[in-house]
Amino acid sequence: MPRQVTISCPKEIYLYTPMADTKRYIAHFDLDSFFVSVEIRNDPSLKGKPVLVGGYERGVVAACSYEARKFGIHSAMPMKKAMQLCPQAIVTNASRSDYSKYSRWVTEIIAARVPLFEKASIDEFYIDLTGMDKFFGVSKYAKELRKAITTETGLPISCGLSSARFISKMATNEAKPNGFLEIPQGKETDFLWPLGIEKINGVGKQTEQQLKNFGIYTIEDIAKTPVELMERYAGKWGESLWHKAHGIGSAEITTDWEQKSMSHENTFDIDYTDISFLHKELVRLTEKTAYSLREDEKLTGCVTVKIRYSDFETTSRQETVDYTALDDILIAKVKDLFNKSYQQGRPVRLLGVRFSQMIPFTMQMSLFDNNAEKLNLYKTVDEIKDRFGSKLVTKAVNVKKRKG
Amino acid sequence: MKFIVSSSSLLKQLQHISGVINANTVLPILEDFLFEVEKNKLTVVATDLETVMRVQLDIEAKDSGKVCIPAKILMDSLKNIPDQPLTFTIDKNFGIEITSDNGKYKVMGENPDNFPKEPAADDTTSFTMTAAALVTAINKTLFATSNDDLRPAMTGVFFELDKKGLQCVATDAHRLVRYKRTEVKCPKNDSFIVPRKPLNLLKAAIPANEDEITLSYNGNHLFVKHGTTQMSCRLIDARFPDYKVVIPADNPYRLTVNKNDFQSALRRVSVFSNKSTNQVALNISGSELQLAAQDVDFSFEGNERMKCQYNGEDLMIAFNARFLIEMLNAADSDDVNVELSTPTKAGLIKPTESDENEELLMLVMPLMLNQ
Repeated sequence: MPRQVTISCPKEIYLYTPMADTKRYIAHFDLDSFFVSVEIRNDPSLKGKPVLVGGYERGVVAACSYEARKFGIHSAMPMKKAMQLCPQAIVTNASRSDYSKYSRWVTEIIAARVPLFEKASIDEFYIDLTGMDKFFGVSKYAKELRKAITTETGLPISCGLSSARFISKMATNEAKPNGFLEIPQGKETDFLWPLGIEKINGVGKQTEQQLKNFGIYTIEDIAKTPVELMERYAGKWGESLWHKAHGIGSAEITTDWEQKSMSHENTFDIDYTDISFLHKELVRLTEKTAYSLREDEKLTGCVTVKIRYSDFETTSRQETVDYTALDDILIAKVKDLFNKSYQQGRPVRLLGVRFSQMIPFTMQMSLFDNNAEKLNLYKTVDEIKDRFGSKLVTKAVNVKKRKG
Repeated sequence: MKFIVSSSSLLKQLQHISGVINANTVLPILEDFLFEVEKNKLTVVATDLETVMRVQLDIEAKDSGKVCIPAKILMDSLKNIPDQPLTFTIDKNFGIEITSDNGKYKVMGENPDNFPKEPAADDTTSFTMTAAALVTAINKTLFATSNDDLRPAMTGVFFELDKKGLQCVATDAHRLVRYKRTEVKCPKNDSFIVPRKPLNLLKAAIPANEDEITLSYNGNHLFVKHGTTQMSCRLIDARFPDYKVVIPADNPYRLTVNKNDFQSALRRVSVFSNKSTNQVALNISGSELQLAAQDVDFSFEGNERMKCQYNGEDLMIAFNARFLIEMLNAADSDDVNVELSTPTKAGLIKPTESDENEELLMLVMPLMLNQ
């Protein structure tokens, strides 16, 4: 006979769910074509022109000005294709060392004015304004914050305001460039329903096509499809889409976000098979990543090397190491991983180095290497880089020969 | 060819050498045992190209011959057969038929001519020691070897021979163990590095008794002989780090603690340490030793205090608790001496007493705290 199991659920769980009934106010701030804006700020002559930021020749478009978008260019498009669409576009990344500086500046402005925010990426922020309505009026506050950022930094920023993260983000996208859009509480579906399904963040080409095959074109279509059917069309994600279509989504702001890994990678102008060049690149990437590691006062316990060949086949190989933040040990490991996974003779398009399993700094001393001395050396080099720029001191293999 | 063998004694012998065989080998024949039959003796060989082990047992056989038998299926079947004489019949195509009281089992073997040849024991130098001494030497050093393939020398145990006896040394660059046997007579000053795997197999295959074991070596290989069990392995071709210079000669402070109490305290406190570093800080002042661990990510904290004898200045030093626990395991005495100097220099761990013929010294580097 089957055993009867009674699962009791304590009432308190429902009683103490925080703000279960109160409406949330989540603002999403997104700097308009951030990299381009920084370039224009540093070189006003670029204003009003089609500007692309990204690697020359072979990279992808990291950001493009609104003038360039008129030509059908969008970010993540290969630079080559973008140049075909708009040959007169100006490609630059002259100010790339300033990007994170400006990002931090904006972060500081936000941090000084709001209690709860999340930096979602270099140019994106989610801000919890719940409760502000009692004092200032939420939309007034968000507008003032937007104005403050633009006045202080000179960078255009767009903002969306609603009751859920994903709606605010979609509102920001609609508000761009340099705009503000508030979706009033209770009017979420009025905003969402006319939009195409591809506007929902996370609906890619594949999901879009799949749903269109079932006759679902707009968010209204999703909302009017039974949730069970949506689940059958797109699994768990289908169910989440259905909820989103009804204006229900997360309003949680994650402030305590811990970095899980750090990495640097580089796509080359041409494909390389030259081992000595590839080794030099590995040294450079490792040095750069190890610098960030020490800056964060972390040690890494796992090293990954990523190789992308000319045909886009990508391999990555990782191994654990004794926790360290020392260049020489990491470089030896990175080269070893590369040598183990590189297929001799195949042209390489991209190399990447990633450190993960990071722990707070506690260094195991070694019997045979003077780690303390080495660490002092690297920290001193780091300080020189901080004061005089990262180009001033590099490993000898990466010093370019002087002409003449 | 045909022979009769006791199922249980065959299984027992095969279990001594089956550890040599790797699960996924490049050459399929490395998944086989080589059976050699001659004059009522069966010799079974297993190899992974680096390590070769062979055992011998008595059987009943009229003729002689060789065959390779897949190891896994043979072991699996022997484990399930009750103790009884088994008849092995091998045809000229290396098909093997095993006949028991319960029934018949067939398995395809392979041509023994394709089985890798053992290294020749040319130009060897030999010395002897008791089985117990060898097993102890392995047990006290093997745990301290490194897993880092980039430093091959440290992935094995360093055997150092001189007129004062045999020294076994192992290190992973963070800690080091040196175990001396003074009664071993070495023919000349010499040294070699033995990989981990054969040592692990050896300590499982030989009993820790007073039997005499012969160790022979040349430039490339080590050969170990214990009765009818033999092992040979390739030596690690690398230079062992100059460990003598890192052993501190005069650490001024001496901490004496009860080994078991110290080890148990470390085990309890380290539960609350950061799981990646296992950091436990030792705070020593007067006759009290404090142990402290914490994991800031989870707000875990462990603190204990215990009695000790200490003759130095107050000192705070942090170690990886796992290292200390493993090293204390290797000490046989009731109390241990921990000799220290500064928080960034190596600490020495020595048993307070040891047998006449042996000497154990361990050192461990501290964890550097972020200032």
